[in-house]
Amino acid sequence: MEIMQLLLTGILFMTFVLAISKRLGAMIGAFRAQSLFLFFTTLYLAMKGRDIEIYIVAFLLLSVKVIAIPRLLSRMVKRIKAEGAAGLFVNPTLSIFIAMFLTYLSYLFTRRIMPFADRAQGEAVIISLAVTLIGLFIMVSRMKAISQIVGLLVMENGLFLVASSVSGGMPFFVEIAIFFDIFVCVIILGMFVYKINKVFTHIDVNKMRELKG
Amino acid sequence: MGYLINNIFRSSFDPLSVFFLAVIAVVSLPSAVYSVGYMKGRYSSGKITLGWALLILFAASMALVVTVKNAFSFIIVWELMSLVSYFLVIFDHEHERSIQAGTIYIVMTHIGTAFIITAILIIFGHAHSFDFAAMKNACLFMPSGTKNLVFVLFLAGFGTKAGIVPLHVWLPYAHPQAPSHISSIMSGVMIKTAIYALIRFAVMIVGVESTWWGEALLVVAAVSCLVGVIYALMEHDIKKLLAYHSVENIGIILLGVGASVLFIKLSMPLAAAFAMAAGLYHLINHAIFKALLFLCAGSVYSATGKRDMEKMGGLIKVMPWTAATFLVGSMAISALPPLNGFVSEWLTFQAFFMGVVSAPAGIKIFMGILAGVLALTSGLAAACFVKAFGITFLAMPRSQNAACAKESPFSMKLAMVFLAMLTVVFGLAAPLILKYLVRVSGSVLSVDTSAAGFTLNNLIIAPRGSGGIYLSPSLLALGLIVIIGMTVLAVYAVWGRRRLTTGKTWDCGYYPAICLDQGGIPPVSDRGRDKLDPRTEYTATAFSKPFRIAFDFFLLPYRKTEKIRESFYHVKSFKYELYTTPVFKEYIYQPLLRAVFKISDSLKRAQSGSIHLYIAYIFITMLALIIFMSRF
Repeated sequence: MEIMQLLLTGILFMTFVLAISKRLGAMIGAFRAQSLFLFFTTLYLAMKGRDIEIYIVAFLLLSVKVIAIPRLLSRMVKRIKAEGAAGLFVNPTLSIFIAMFLTYLSYLFTRRIMPFADRAQGEAVIISLAVTLIGLFIMVSRMKAISQIVGLLVMENGLFLVASSVSGGMPFFVEIAIFFDIFVCVIILGMFVYKINKVFTHIDVNKMRELKG
Repeated sequence: MGYLINNIFRSSFDPLSVFFLAVIAVVSLPSAVYSVGYMKGRYSSGKITLGWALLILFAASMALVVTVKNAFSFIIVWELMSLVSYFLVIFDHEHERSIQAGTIYIVMTHIGTAFIITAILIIFGHAHSFDFAAMKNACLFMPSGTKNLVFVLFLAGFGTKAGIVPLHVWLPYAHPQAPSHISSIMSGVMIKTAIYALIRFAVMIVGVESTWWGEALLVVAAVSCLVGVIYALMEHDIKKLLAYHSVENIGIILLGVGASVLFIKLSMPLAAAFAMAAGLYHLINHAIFKALLFLCAGSVYSATGKRDMEKMGGLIKVMPWTAATFLVGSMAISALPPLNGFVSEWLTFQAFFMGVVSAPAGIKIFMGILAGVLALTSGLAAACFVKAFGITFLAMPRSQNAACAKESPFSMKLAMVFLAMLTVVFGLAAPLILKYLVRVSGSVLSVDTSAAGFTLNNLIIAPRGSGGIYLSPSLLALGLIVIIGMTVLAVYAVWGRRRLTTGKTWDCGYYPAICLDQGGIPPVSDRGRDKLDPRTEYTATAFSKPFRIAFDFFLLPYRKTEKIRESFYHVKSFKYELYTTPVFKEYIYQPLLRAVFKISDSLKRAQSGSIHLYIAYIFITMLALIIFMSRF
């Protein structure tokens, strides 16, 4: 049990790091670390359940979210020569407070909807909900288009965590399909970012207000 | 699929449905024949195919509307009908006006559908079934307040499609803009499906709850009659004029239906059946002669390329068939005996007189006033068609297009002649048709009409049984023929053979200058080029002037004048434009539209264009939901 809690804490910690990181490079790094913790969590569950399918899912997670996607994102940042800053609407101090508040909220909420869950499971749900909410918060509060992609991926991590910790994972093929989806999604979003950069010479979403009809 | 056919699209063929199917067939078939000649040469072959497909779909959807017996499928086919007719309105999509008319139409018709769906869902809430029979049973136990609400919703919803005032605004735009054979179906049949639906839902399913339903229907109908005919008088676009007459005639039909609804509540079942039959009779008559008139107007339009009557004239010489059939249609719509319009309006009058004779005191006066309104309407309609026929077909051509017009091809003539003959048949065979319609209305109102003798035999109508008032269209026709024949004979006997003398129209002494030198008598050689050119003819605007003055409190006419000068002393030309204020548009729809736009503008502020804000909306919603869930 202790190992599981340690890993979950790691995930939450990396999410907080994400919420306060000011540069794109730092965000990608934090996301990579968060995914790594998620990989270890899944691996731990697989070892505990001795389930070959969860093993496969775990290593897919490792290759897609820890290696491939962060590398893609870093290359993107380099290619379009975005300055390092992610562009914050909300400064890091306030961001961490909001992240903490969101975590508290998900704690309250989880207590309310599943009062009889055992402690470990409850913690998993709390943390995954918090991760999802903070991911959304990152999407709202960062200017650069790449940080929106990262926010989306963080949300997805949260959802993955809740699925694997509460219900012992989604059906195998669904899991595979989701990984594929995420990967394709990142590639498409990446192409959009390239295109945006080409047309507007920046990827600052905040400056795109004029696009409305 | 089998399930769908068995449960959703199960059709009913009760007398009311069969009657409406007949109306649809009577108008759609001639219109389809007509379209052969009308579309040929106007459209490319691909578009002709599209036109046929839409026409067939349109007729089929109307047939489904009047036969389905499930409210859910009713809404589907009703929408299908609306959409198909929308595509037909914008069939000539290269004209800006078609698109505009289509937009007005589709917006109005969807507002109507919203009312209809609301009403049907309210009934569904009580019945838990969309089946007509189940809904009818549930309505027996519905509270009276709900029933009233449902009636108002149905009236607004179906009234929009029927074109009752003030929901008629789309009609004068959409009907004329469609190709003419479609205009004839839209005006002839489509707006009648709304009457069908009103009878089906309000009278048969919900059941008449109180007397004010009938009174409301009658007031709306009377207003529609007058407004329709007054606007028609002011209109010089021949197809728009006909469209306004549709508003008027829907009013006349609703006068019959409304009187029937009122009589039900006054427990006068036989009078109710009679009034309903009168309304249905006018419904099929209007379908016939309005389809005929629209087809004639289409024939004129394809010959001249114009719809403005002021640009026509003299067409009787080049288009005798069109002129003759238009004349028959005009006589029918103006309710001249022995044509069909006369019979049904007479029957409507008789229905009111029944009310005047045997209803309670207040209703008596009301019915009397309504009979007066109907009389005024018929008179104005007659005046309007004197204008429409006279300006379009008589006198000299007012434009080059009118002078070069050619008669329409055979298929178009065939359709027009067929419908013209039907107006005569429906006039002469009135007793037979009335018998049938009384059976229909008896089944609608569940009244046993076998005892009621509204007809003496197959020749004579007698609304009060034996004794009182009689009408025999066939004898009337015979009498007319005899009188006219006698007059002709008498004239012949007194004056002998026809002698032809060609004279010159007196032009108030406005002879060319040369003639004046010769003592005011124009030489024979000058007769061809006198100053009586088309510009000196009587115009539609001039004809309608007395009515514009008489109804100026409603039409609010105003004029714009402009002098174009070369210098202060020399006015080169003088521009004079005359307008009437579109009251409903100005005082109801414009303020409404302005309000809608204002609200939309203030809502637009939420759409800032910032992606972050949009995600933030989602975020805030999620947080709100989480907090909300945590509270409970």
